[in-house]
Amino acid sequence: MSLESQELSDLKSKIGREPTSTELQIVAAEWSEHCSYKSSKKHLKMLPMTGPLVIKEKGYDSGVLDVGDGYVVTAHIESHNHPSAVEPYGGAATGVGGVIRDILSAGTRPIAIFDGLRFGNIEKDQQARWLFKNAVTGIADYGNCLGIPTIGGEVEFDECYQNYALVDVAAVGFGKKENLIKNHAKKGDLVILLGGSTGRDGIGGSQFASDSLESEDRSAVQIPDPFIEKLIIEAILEARNEKLIHAMKDLGGGGLSCAISETADALDIGIEMDVEKVHTRESDMHPDEIMVSESQERMLIVTSKIKLKKLQIICKKFHIGCSVIGHVKFDNYMHIKKGKKTFANLPTDVVANATLLDLPSKKPVYLDTIEKEKKLKPITDYSKLMMKFLASPNIASKIWVYGQYDHEVGIRTVTKPGRDASVLRLDNGKFLSAKIDGNPKHCYINPREGAIGCFEEACRNVVCTGAKPIGMLDHLQFGSPKDPEIFWTFLESLKGLTDFAKFFKIPCVGGKVSLYNETPAGPIKPTPVIGVLGLIDKKPSIPQKISDNDCLVIIGDTKDELGGSEYFEYVHKFIGGKCPVVNFEDSKKNMFSVLKVINDSLVKSAHDCSKGGLAVAVSEMCMTNQIGCKVSLEKVPGEKLSVDRILFSESHSRYLLALERKNLKKLESILKKNNVSFKEIGEFGGYRIQFTNSAKSIIDLRVDKAQKTWLNSLRDLVLHG
Amino acid sequence: MAIYDVHVTIENKPGISDPEGDTILNDLVLKGTQKTVSKIKTAKMLKFTIKEKDKKTAQSKVQEICDELRIYNPMVSKVTIDVFDS
Repeated sequence: MSLESQELSDLKSKIGREPTSTELQIVAAEWSEHCSYKSSKKHLKMLPMTGPLVIKEKGYDSGVLDVGDGYVVTAHIESHNHPSAVEPYGGAATGVGGVIRDILSAGTRPIAIFDGLRFGNIEKDQQARWLFKNAVTGIADYGNCLGIPTIGGEVEFDECYQNYALVDVAAVGFGKKENLIKNHAKKGDLVILLGGSTGRDGIGGSQFASDSLESEDRSAVQIPDPFIEKLIIEAILEARNEKLIHAMKDLGGGGLSCAISETADALDIGIEMDVEKVHTRESDMHPDEIMVSESQERMLIVTSKIKLKKLQIICKKFHIGCSVIGHVKFDNYMHIKKGKKTFANLPTDVVANATLLDLPSKKPVYLDTIEKEKKLKPITDYSKLMMKFLASPNIASKIWVYGQYDHEVGIRTVTKPGRDASVLRLDNGKFLSAKIDGNPKHCYINPREGAIGCFEEACRNVVCTGAKPIGMLDHLQFGSPKDPEIFWTFLESLKGLTDFAKFFKIPCVGGKVSLYNETPAGPIKPTPVIGVLGLIDKKPSIPQKISDNDCLVIIGDTKDELGGSEYFEYVHKFIGGKCPVVNFEDSKKNMFSVLKVINDSLVKSAHDCSKGGLAVAVSEMCMTNQIGCKVSLEKVPGEKLSVDRILFSESHSRYLLALERKNLKKLESILKKNNVSFKEIGEFGGYRIQFTNSAKSIIDLRVDKAQKTWLNSLRDLVLHG
Repeated sequence: MAIYDVHVTIENKPGISDPEGDTILNDLVLKGTQKTVSKIKTAKMLKFTIKEKDKKTAQSKVQEICDELRIYNPMVSKVTIDVFDS
């Protein structure tokens, strides 16, 4: 129960009487932060949510984008942080299940899963290793059983997630525009609960997610069942083809309370339901428990009496439960009964629309001094440092993670994980590119610029595959909004994302806000995670093998921006400095120039420069192609900087291009014409990764040795500590 | 010192769903002619053979091992430890 005294008196004055215990439970679930977005909703409106490709319908749980030729792509992002922190396997798996049902509820088939995972320091902390290992297994087991490829994501470790886990799951769906569910209902239509049985698991989950995680208060555990989910997907899609669904909603946080009230409110109808009709796992469940249970793998469907028979036949064929639990009426009330007895009777607009809050915000004190740099210890051996860096958990290859995911099932995956962004083939001959990115280290130092940086990085990754960004998903994860300093960081991030989205005309098609992410040691760093979808009209840029004498060109300036960089935080254990800032004009120029040279087939592969800076980006290109490269640091465009800063600065809007020498002239003329800052900084060949500064050797590594360390260190760390 | 067999049974807590057990019941047992079965629960059992001074120590030692190595998650699972003379 997390209804505050103010909210309770609000409720009483709105309904004009004392609420019953069932009503209290329903309202507490629906008015929780998790379901009502009461702290954030007022502000989220600032994001641009419309665009020429965006299709809006009432009651959709996912964003819908028109990709032409009568087809649509749907996308949604969710998190399952609190459940994953106590039961990483089940928590992460059921997170995947939830977001997939959001895609399904628009009437599209889920075709890809992405996951963003964040944990504490796995080098020191056994708990973090346990959480990491089990969350990855949970996602793999669930996604692989469903036959939906997990094609991308990111993994990051930071002390601020000690004893905690951020598990973000995004999913993409695909379907015909004519098959989209147009949510509507007529008087007398039936309300049907389809899927798994309702049990006591996950009772009060949404309230639990809206309270800080206290060590003893850990009760909402859900057990994943991917096989039921698979049956639900197939049954729903068959029912969709037969036009049996009038309206549909998945049951997530808040269970039936949330699904009934939100469906009724969105469709401007009333629903009368009988809890005795719900198929339950245990016989002695109280109506309160049935209404707030968050048992997984359930969908709410509105259909007509005539179509019911056909729907029941489909459910029988797929062996899934299907109960008629109520019917539609037109008084805008949700009336919950058990047999003849009424347990709750509330106006749906009261339940579905919590009083929105206007919380105070205040710039955090720590930000006044955070940009001041401390004196760093000089680096004596950069080659040795680089090897250590390549083995560090945040830089090392995540192959141990995505190697467990089936990323090719469904045979749409054109570019597999491990590259900048993954690419999927669509049925209309176009390609979809997608990526999610976050960077809490930057966001902690500057919530606004950090959030913009995540957005730009996701765009860069998508652009490197030759795709034009068409939509974004935002997932805003912060600590308690009641702390004005935390709420300020939330608002700053949101404003930054809004500015960038408006400037680039990329609509926000979906998102989620997850607040109260607090550990016993305090709030997490601001962690917005941004997903970007890109569309490729013709053919995607599939990276070609780089060979001897190919040249390396960098686009974009390298600046003195090491705040929140892996170099400062991992090597120097220093949190502070100036975090990278995106210059919108440069960003746009660079992005469009890269797209142009990719479309003109001038480059063999494009790679963005991000975590770990230039040194890591060049090494990654070398290691994935098993070829050496000689880079002259004095040629790198940008401010005049010391060697370590050129190597490890994480300035945005930078791209590395590998191309055949014969294309260099053409490339240069395009880049010059677009007034882009660029330079040829090196040449591929041999078997050593070499960085020199005015002929002086700075880094000299063997590619095979570097690659072995980079590929294996994360696995060794997880499995052997 | 004596040798004991220690059986550790790990199962989902009551009230938490057990998809595997349900599937065995509904799609295997009840599909046949058996109609008297009403519930099946799955569990995992680890059989330890351990040398300790008495039954009680054998039990607490095994419990300690399972807790420390996170062989089960106390949030999800119920654990029963039975000790037998070897």
